[in-house]
Amino acid sequence: MKRFGTLRHHAPFWLSIAAGIALWEIAGRNTSAAFMVPFSETLVRLWQLVASGEFIHQLLESAKLFITGFVLAVVIGLPFGMLLARVRTLRIGIEPYLMIVYATPLVALIPFILSMMGFGFAPKVLVVFLFAVFSVIYNTVEGARSIKPEMLEVAHSFRSNEWVLWREVMLPHTLPYAMTGVRQAIGRALVGMIAAEFFLSSTGLGQLIMSASQNFDTGGVFASILVIALIGIGLMRVGLLIERHFARWRQ
Amino acid sequence: MSEQVIDASVIAIGSRPSARSAGTFMPRLITGLALLLLWELVVRALAPPYVAKPTSVVMAVPRVITDPTFLSATGATLLAVAEGLAIALVAGIVIGLSMGRSPAVERSLRHYVNGFYAMPMIVILPLFSLWFGYSGATRIATIIFAAIFSIIINVADGANSVPREYLEVARSFRASRLRGLIDIVLPSSMPYLLAGIRLAAGRALIGAVVAEFFLSIGGVGYYILYNSRIYRHDQAFVGVLLLAAFGVSFELLVNWCTRRFMPWYRRDEQTG
Repeated sequence: MKRFGTLRHHAPFWLSIAAGIALWEIAGRNTSAAFMVPFSETLVRLWQLVASGEFIHQLLESAKLFITGFVLAVVIGLPFGMLLARVRTLRIGIEPYLMIVYATPLVALIPFILSMMGFGFAPKVLVVFLFAVFSVIYNTVEGARSIKPEMLEVAHSFRSNEWVLWREVMLPHTLPYAMTGVRQAIGRALVGMIAAEFFLSSTGLGQLIMSASQNFDTGGVFASILVIALIGIGLMRVGLLIERHFARWRQ
Repeated sequence: MSEQVIDASVIAIGSRPSARSAGTFMPRLITGLALLLLWELVVRALAPPYVAKPTSVVMAVPRVITDPTFLSATGATLLAVAEGLAIALVAGIVIGLSMGRSPAVERSLRHYVNGFYAMPMIVILPLFSLWFGYSGATRIATIIFAAIFSIIINVADGANSVPREYLEVARSFRASRLRGLIDIVLPSSMPYLLAGIRLAAGRALIGAVVAEFFLSIGGVGYYILYNSRIYRHDQAFVGVLLLAAFGVSFELLVNWCTRRFMPWYRRDEQTG
């Protein structure tokens, strides 16, 4: 009975995926191969790329860039956000500027980074880092704002020391927000990764898709987009899991 | 998926009256000056002379904003963003409302909308450039693609969260389905829609700039790219300031609209 239940639960999902694939296949077969490639051919092209080793190589290249930039963003953004959360004057002073940077499309900085730092690995990491770090800082600060001053006052009047204050008030209130920031940062870092691979030195999945489009290899373009989309969806899931895990603290 | 979009919308600026009080002004001014000074000193000490620093950017402002090339670039980008956003808005509202009100539509589209929303939007550029050529059409298509999914998701969530009693009352007064949609579902999902628009505007701006980099077509993004290539970083940075101003003012506008027209919609009470 349980099996039947899960089948019924998942049936609409698989049905809609199957319909989408069928639509893609039909559309692909009825248009010029330069515009669109059917699903089946996309899979064949993907398999060729995997078999040649090209795909795995570029995937690892991208993963290296993504992980370096993202980890740096969390390792620097989280403590910095926490510092701002604790030191109220600093937070009030820096908040508007943080907001401005957060609302600015940071892709616009890529040409500056290119002409100052050239084509190495470091400028690309910087792009991923910049895309990701402000989500972490911004949301951590947002969490700090959610702490009512009375809570800190109560903690102080019970003579809580700094360590107890962090454990009982600061961390439980800021971490859930910070994790929302981490989840957003995952998505933004992925955009940063592709942007860096497009516009700085061409490597990784970005290069795969660029060279496919320059060679009018539409199958290659579709195969790369499919893979990047799946990676995006997978990472989004991971982000949501992380966020939910910490959200239990948020009242 | 619903809470994630709203979470992002929780980030609102200046929504607390206390933020406007005098107590915050001095720390902000001092921090701002300190940041500018730091930037100026670091660039002067370490970077080559062409790198943008506050004093030279300020000097470049009058020159740039009277430059016809810059003005037409600004016009081209903003027009494309407005056009793309408008299309994304109309299509997004229609799709979002039908998803929110019809379980069948919701079930068949939800995974695709979420999937497209999760994928880094700029990977679509090479494909769009194959389809629409190296032209403004590709830029518009990219902007629409970047913007539409956050609108759909938010409108669908909004339409989904309409209290059931409201619709029941409408039905007992024999209101038609369409009237119910226009008079009840649409207004009560407005806060969600505005949150979606704010996200969409930010993404649209990124889409426009990236498209201009990629396609080398006239616009602020291309202006920045071109000028920084020929080492005129000061001029190029004025373009960045313009984009920042646009991003910030849109954000403020949406927040103002939420407070002005939807005072009944309150995010969690925040304290300063």
